[in-house]
Amino acid sequence: MVRSVRRPRRMAVLSLVGALLLSPAFGRAQTSELDSIKTLVKNLEQQLQKALQRIDQLEKEKAATSGRVDQVERSVRSVQSAPSILNPAIGMSIDTTAEHRAKTGGDFNFRSAELGIAASVDPYARAYAFITGSKEEIEVEEAAIVTSSLPWNLQARAGRFFADFGRLAKFHPHEYAFVNTPLSLERIVGGESKADGAELSYLFPTPFFLRGTVGGYNKLGAENERLDDTKSRSWSRFTYLGRLHTYFDLTDNHGVELGTSLAFTPSLRMSDFTGSNRTLAGVDLTYRYQPLDSTLYQGFTWGSELFANSERRPLTLEDESVVGKRRRSFGGYSYGELKLNKNWSTGFLFDYAPSIDEPAKKTKSYSPFLTWNLSEFNRLRFQYSFLDDKVREEKSERGHQFFLQWTTVLGSHTHGFRNR
Amino acid sequence: MNKIRRNVLISLALFGMLFGLQASSYAQSIRVITTTPELADITKQIGKELVNVESLTRGVEFMHAVPVKPSFVPKLNRADILVVMGLDLEISWLPALLEVANNSKILPGQSGNIDCSNGISVLEVSRTVDRSEGDVHPKGNPHYNLDPVSGKIIARNIADGLSHNYPQHRAVFEKNLNAYLGDLDKAIARWQSMAAPLKGVKIVTYHVEWSYFARRFGLEQVGIIELKPGIEPTPNHLVALVQKMQQEKTQLIIYGAQSDRFPRQLASQTSASVVRLQSIAGGSPETDTYIKFIDYNLRSLLTAVKKG
Repeated sequence: MVRSVRRPRRMAVLSLVGALLLSPAFGRAQTSELDSIKTLVKNLEQQLQKALQRIDQLEKEKAATSGRVDQVERSVRSVQSAPSILNPAIGMSIDTTAEHRAKTGGDFNFRSAELGIAASVDPYARAYAFITGSKEEIEVEEAAIVTSSLPWNLQARAGRFFADFGRLAKFHPHEYAFVNTPLSLERIVGGESKADGAELSYLFPTPFFLRGTVGGYNKLGAENERLDDTKSRSWSRFTYLGRLHTYFDLTDNHGVELGTSLAFTPSLRMSDFTGSNRTLAGVDLTYRYQPLDSTLYQGFTWGSELFANSERRPLTLEDESVVGKRRRSFGGYSYGELKLNKNWSTGFLFDYAPSIDEPAKKTKSYSPFLTWNLSEFNRLRFQYSFLDDKVREEKSERGHQFFLQWTTVLGSHTHGFRNR
Repeated sequence: MNKIRRNVLISLALFGMLFGLQASSYAQSIRVITTTPELADITKQIGKELVNVESLTRGVEFMHAVPVKPSFVPKLNRADILVVMGLDLEISWLPALLEVANNSKILPGQSGNIDCSNGISVLEVSRTVDRSEGDVHPKGNPHYNLDPVSGKIIARNIADGLSHNYPQHRAVFEKNLNAYLGDLDKAIARWQSMAAPLKGVKIVTYHVEWSYFARRFGLEQVGIIELKPGIEPTPNHLVALVQKMQQEKTQLIIYGAQSDRFPRQLASQTSASVVRLQSIAGGSPETDTYIKFIDYNLRSLLTAVKKG
């Protein structure tokens, strides 16, 4: 009964709703509501779009900022970690040997600790210095200014430096392929070509390497005792030098380097009684085999130099007042070094050294050597030498000799182009 | 006497002709010297007929041990522009040559010296620089040329450098740059899809020079043969490396201009394959351009992975 009463009521309500929905007034109200909803959604969409764009922008900014922070951090790190950026490059080499000489005995020989400093001075010049301490003394071996922007392919150098004479005379001894300075270089040139003076070099505009140097110095040679470096004197008593130096690639892997040097001192007075001019000449020849695809593991260098010296020397070493006689002496050395692999190399040095005062007397030496490069900056070398000495000036320059050399380099230490 | 004078005059005339010919042949175009063949290739692509480009290295060298040849000096002396990789890659040989080249316009910092590492996101910048860490580069890993995306930065740097020095040719350089970047982009897209099989492949390299390449193509570097950069491995280091390679299931041993002795030794004790890649372009006819060089390295690796 109840059910039958409810059904007609429901039908009546539905009919009323249907009539209302179908009526035009209700339709208009419904449309405006839909429009407002649509507008609302559109606004929301626009706001969402803006928010997404803003998020994108913020993400990009964040990425860019972190990139910049990375760059700044990297720059700071590189400045902190690269000591040569704001200061001169500084380095030190230490060269020490344990040696036994048949005629003199054993020795732990602290040969040198060499402090090197180098940097650009300004856009026009750079400067470098090598200060060396040894068992005997501490000395400025080199301290020189070199131009970097002279016109016409010119380069000037002044101060104290190793003059551009020959090849090995410009090496610091710890850079040799063998242990000791060849006696021929020591006796004829005076060891390293250390000089106080000035030089001008010219790079010829040729397709091949050709370089010429002229220089003037107080004197030439680290062990040259002929003149006092500290006194003023006539310009005729200075040493003047000329050198030509060239190089040819025979192939990509083979190259030959040739140099000729002449040092002339117009007036050289050994004492109040002896005086003359002095001519020192040298020819150097270096052949290198450097296979480009395995320079780390293979290579061969053959280096030779001939020296000639002509000057008036005292007749007797004891009495320099006796007028001397012109002596001409010729000597030289030749060595070969073979790279066995990345760490090991071996070679042989032959040296032919005359006495300056008695050129007929010679010292010949034969020195095989073996080098172990633990790294680029740490090296051990063993050398045996036999010196057949007819000069008899020094006991340490004769007989059988054994050397174990340890050389290390700290920091930035390079002698540049000349020590190739 | 007259004969001598005549001979001297003839010699002087010959010298004059030689230098004159040489000068005229260089007067036509911008003389660019690059340190590596890929820099030469990219410079050629950007400079086209406006530049005369030569690379100092041939592409077979190990870049940390390039011989300091005096024959490089006249080339550097006559260069208008020097293009370098930078980040000290050339530190062991280039400064010594520049010392005697008497050409101030190409010295570091000068406008004629284009350093292609500008803008590179450098990897492996050491917080501390100490030689106990081997022959480290204070400015970070300089082998960024192995990532082709860095090639785009190299090209941009070269174009900017050339435009800065020769603003009258800027439009040409920009046009050529855009064309080259287009080619490079296409190649990079191709390489990215080609390199899919390399993702996650575990590698051991001889020297720390493949980091950029590995990052770009998803290789996973699990060890280095050298004890430290530039230092040959000790027996203990090799034993430890073999164990690590076995644990990590390393698939490839990559080396470049180094000896194959240690890579082969490691391969014989593990299941890894040895593959020789090139760390600079130009070492062979297949790598005479930068794009061919990356292509060659990628294909060599894919071949090795397939074989392995």
